[in-house]
Amino acid sequence: MPLSTLVCLLSALPLLSALVHGGGWWFPAAVLMCAAAAVSALYRLVGRSSLPVPFLQLLAVTLLMAPLFASHVAPLGLLPSGAVLEHVAELLFQGAVTIDRGLPPVPATAGVKLLIALLFTLFLLSSDFLAVTARCPGMVGGPLLLLAAIPLFVGDGGLSWLPVAVCVLGFLQLLAVDMWLRGREWGMRVPDREGGRFLGAAYRAGWAGLVSGAALLLALAVPLAVPSLRSDVLHSMGQGTYTGRSEDAITTTHPLVSMRRELMSSHDRTVLTYRTEAENPGYLRRHVLNEFDGENWTMLPLDASADTRVAGELPPPAGQEPAPEGRTVSTRISLDSDTPSTEFLPLPYWARSVEISGEWYVDPQSLMVFTTEAPPTGLSFTVEALDPRVSAEDLAGSGAPRALRGDHLSLPGGLDPQVRTLTDAVTANADSDYARALALQKFFTSGEFSYSLAPPAVPQGSDPLLHFLTVDKVGYCQQFAGAMAVMARQAGIPARVAVGYTAGERLNDGSWKVTTGDAHAWPELYFEGAGWVRFEPTPAGSSGQGSASAPEYTADGRAPEVPDEPGEEASGSPGEPSPEESGRESPPEEDRPSSPSQESERPEEEPTDPAAASDADTGPGTGAGMPRWLPVSGALAAVLLLAAAPALVRAALRRSRTAALPGPAGTGAHTAWRELHDTCLDLGILWSAAESPRAVAERLVQVRDPKGAPLPEEAREALRRLAAAEEEARYAPAAPGGEGLRADLCTAVAALEAASPAGVRLRARLLPRSLLVRRPGAVPSPA
Amino acid sequence: MSLDTHHGDRGDDVRADVGEVAAVADRVRGAIESVIEGKPEVLRVALTVLLAEGHLLVEDVPGVGKTMLAKALARAVDCSVQRIQFTPDLLPSDITGVSVYHQERREFEFNPGPVFANIVVGDEINRASPKTQAALLECMAERQVSVDGRTLALERPFMVVATQNPSDMEGTYTLPEAQRDRFMARVSVGYPSPQAELDMIDSHSAGSPLEDLAPVTGAAQLRDLSDRVREVHVAPGVRRYIVDLVGATRVAPELRLGASPRATLHLVRAARAHAALEGRHYVVPDDVQALAVPVLAHRLLLHPQARMEHLSPEQIVARAVARLPVPGPR
Repeated sequence: MPLSTLVCLLSALPLLSALVHGGGWWFPAAVLMCAAAAVSALYRLVGRSSLPVPFLQLLAVTLLMAPLFASHVAPLGLLPSGAVLEHVAELLFQGAVTIDRGLPPVPATAGVKLLIALLFTLFLLSSDFLAVTARCPGMVGGPLLLLAAIPLFVGDGGLSWLPVAVCVLGFLQLLAVDMWLRGREWGMRVPDREGGRFLGAAYRAGWAGLVSGAALLLALAVPLAVPSLRSDVLHSMGQGTYTGRSEDAITTTHPLVSMRRELMSSHDRTVLTYRTEAENPGYLRRHVLNEFDGENWTMLPLDASADTRVAGELPPPAGQEPAPEGRTVSTRISLDSDTPSTEFLPLPYWARSVEISGEWYVDPQSLMVFTTEAPPTGLSFTVEALDPRVSAEDLAGSGAPRALRGDHLSLPGGLDPQVRTLTDAVTANADSDYARALALQKFFTSGEFSYSLAPPAVPQGSDPLLHFLTVDKVGYCQQFAGAMAVMARQAGIPARVAVGYTAGERLNDGSWKVTTGDAHAWPELYFEGAGWVRFEPTPAGSSGQGSASAPEYTADGRAPEVPDEPGEEASGSPGEPSPEESGRESPPEEDRPSSPSQESERPEEEPTDPAAASDADTGPGTGAGMPRWLPVSGALAAVLLLAAAPALVRAALRRSRTAALPGPAGTGAHTAWRELHDTCLDLGILWSAAESPRAVAERLVQVRDPKGAPLPEEAREALRRLAAAEEEARYAPAAPGGEGLRADLCTAVAALEAASPAGVRLRARLLPRSLLVRRPGAVPSPA
Repeated sequence: MSLDTHHGDRGDDVRADVGEVAAVADRVRGAIESVIEGKPEVLRVALTVLLAEGHLLVEDVPGVGKTMLAKALARAVDCSVQRIQFTPDLLPSDITGVSVYHQERREFEFNPGPVFANIVVGDEINRASPKTQAALLECMAERQVSVDGRTLALERPFMVVATQNPSDMEGTYTLPEAQRDRFMARVSVGYPSPQAELDMIDSHSAGSPLEDLAPVTGAAQLRDLSDRVREVHVAPGVRRYIVDLVGATRVAPELRLGASPRATLHLVRAARAHAALEGRHYVVPDDVQALAVPVLAHRLLLHPQARMEHLSPEQIVARAVARLPVPGPR
């Protein structure tokens, strides 16, 4: 049993394969689990009480820590010591940091390996206790579910079927071993006859299949039919939360992960609405990622202290000290109450002051505004922002960055030289930073790259950045923004990645609405004198990020089809998603519900065209990825299917039985008799297990219809013949042939059904009781 | 399994044989029915016991035709018949026979008692003392008689048809359990239906119908038929069914004494004969069900409390039959 538990948990290891890359991450976990399981198995062979088992297992695991993780500091390479303990603690911390800051899949560093190994060991200990000590192997399903939930929470691609199937097989194996052991303990039922065991197994397997199929159907249909919980409840459960490591530091889900989650979410949900004085509002920033580790852009640690507390005025934007004069624009932003609460405020760039209740802090470098408390949902706040008014001339004339604090040019040493080559090639003809930036943006938007929310997986071992740049050239804003920022740094321009939302779309009342489909990431490049300036390498429009727009000052490099004004851009026909995109799982986010505004803004345009009207009507529905009626009708269909399932199964059973007649000697009679039995059961005609076939037939021929008329003579004869055949098949030394059984069965069944009242017949059709009763012998006879 | 193939090979053979059994049994039945009318169930049990080489106990109040049944059965078969009238002063040697000293030959000579016959009609068996009743034990079970250290085998067929009055009648001794267990079946004749009684008046006023009864079969044929009955197939499921049924009487809370393993054997043999009587070469649960009460009920002893509740062994056997599932498909 301990070994079976081990196999079960080993089979759960692949569940995490999507979250970690690099080989060998599973090895320490497997070794530790094997050791713990071996301890359990060996001890249970000799020991009496299972009380000390967990302690012995813990001891074994502790002893193995040194050779596995700290062999270089341990005495003799394997003895535990204080140094080993320190090293392990250090590794743990590093692992936690790696997981915290990295985007899945995280690299399989020693710390991550240790964390995974410890996690699985913990699960093995608890599973061992549940399955072996407490003898409830079914409960092991709990830890397994937890394991399966980790990739679902952290990643956004779901689980592939293979690891799940392996895990399920492992679990079933555990249950089977348990049943087998119990059977050995309590004694198995000896099969009555040869072949009975096999038949019984097939029978049980059939039933198990039926039951699990029904369970699956229910599991899929019921959530559709039941009114769902408010989505924010579920989403806030999935959000990253505070770890409480220190008061000032906060950890959240990686901004790019939550952005991707928003982009991929099945309905386009309103995130926030805002009113602004600006004619042409810019993007709303939430996060700024200023560090590139070779694979992912991450945030620098934030400082939440009294110095950085927001009190009205915000520090001046980088490169703009003292704060520039200019027109300030007031914007009133209301987060939707259905939006999961956020620790970072979406703000227009260069926000000068924020009026908001609660404790909020600002990062002076990036002007991110955040809190360490659990922020309320449905927040509203007012922000005063400078209208940047950057012009192409300003940028072209900017000199070398002087006023910038912090390092915004560093790139990891391991960056592939091809990136440098590519950057040089792209920017070869540019003579200034601004021209280089434009060249880079043009490189991405010139049509060579295509936009997809579900880019093909990067092969194991290859650099995702290089793969995106040189091989498949498919990605979404995260890839575009990240790649452009890296290349800009390569070209000597300070760069970082901002994450937030596009301006959204304008509503009739003049306010703006930002939905999950507007989630976005973009690069910000620094130009002396102008500060951080937004660029837009992501393709916009129907085949890209729908509401993205390239800033005016990058007009040279902007894709021709991209309109300036987001609202206007959205008025372009959203278009049907391209076939290959609609085939994918992810809803095409460019299909956002933009049609109502289009209609209201330009009511005179084609007002009589019914096609356009209906287009506009159905637009929002299809834009959500799934028409509104689909869940309802799907649930209805599922319920109908469920309701009809017994009748269908029963009809199929009768058909297959009738088709099997006459069949080989003996079995035909049994089949016919079984069908007769089921029919009687369905019709509510008494069938006692203590009655022989002959007695049953004699009773059945007495059946009278509601008017008191007896069964037709040929039906009575057919019943008697069926009984005689069954009797002979059961008790005679040689089984009879099955001639005429089919006709007799049909006659008898039809006569019995005809003799029943219509209501009973209907019930027999829809809710056949025979499906619930296992064998003819299972009908309880009156005591 | 081997048994099945054995029977399977000679299935047709057995099928033809049981046809003859049924035919002969029908003739015997017809003959007896000329004497006893309107009692087909009783006759069937009697014929079953005859073919199964068992012993029959006929129990009922006086005057319903117990002795007539026994005598008619004996006369319908052309074989040696002896009748013993049991009385309180009957001695064991009156049944088994006695050795007398032969003056001329100067040795003891055994004079066989009435038990040396093919059919022994024991009338009012429960009026004899238990000691005398016990004299029948050996010959009924083992078909032999041990007298003066010598053991004499009895000729086949050997059937004891005993009649008795219910034990609460005057001047009766209760038959010991061991004795009852040796009877394969017990039947009650019961009062005839009014019509049968009317017919009886007619037939009996013309003379004794028993006198007109001519034998329809002989001892040799009966032996042969009995051999064929042994060939009747009993499926494993049916055997199990019989064992379960007998076992059910042993666990019934109302019973002080359940049926013995001998009862199981008797039930199997009787079921075979019953099947053969119907011209079937295999036993079905219906055979067992039809015979369960006659074969089992007289062996059972009720708890006093159950008796006070007016339960009868017959009811308990019938209840077990109604509850026990019949053997299902193979």
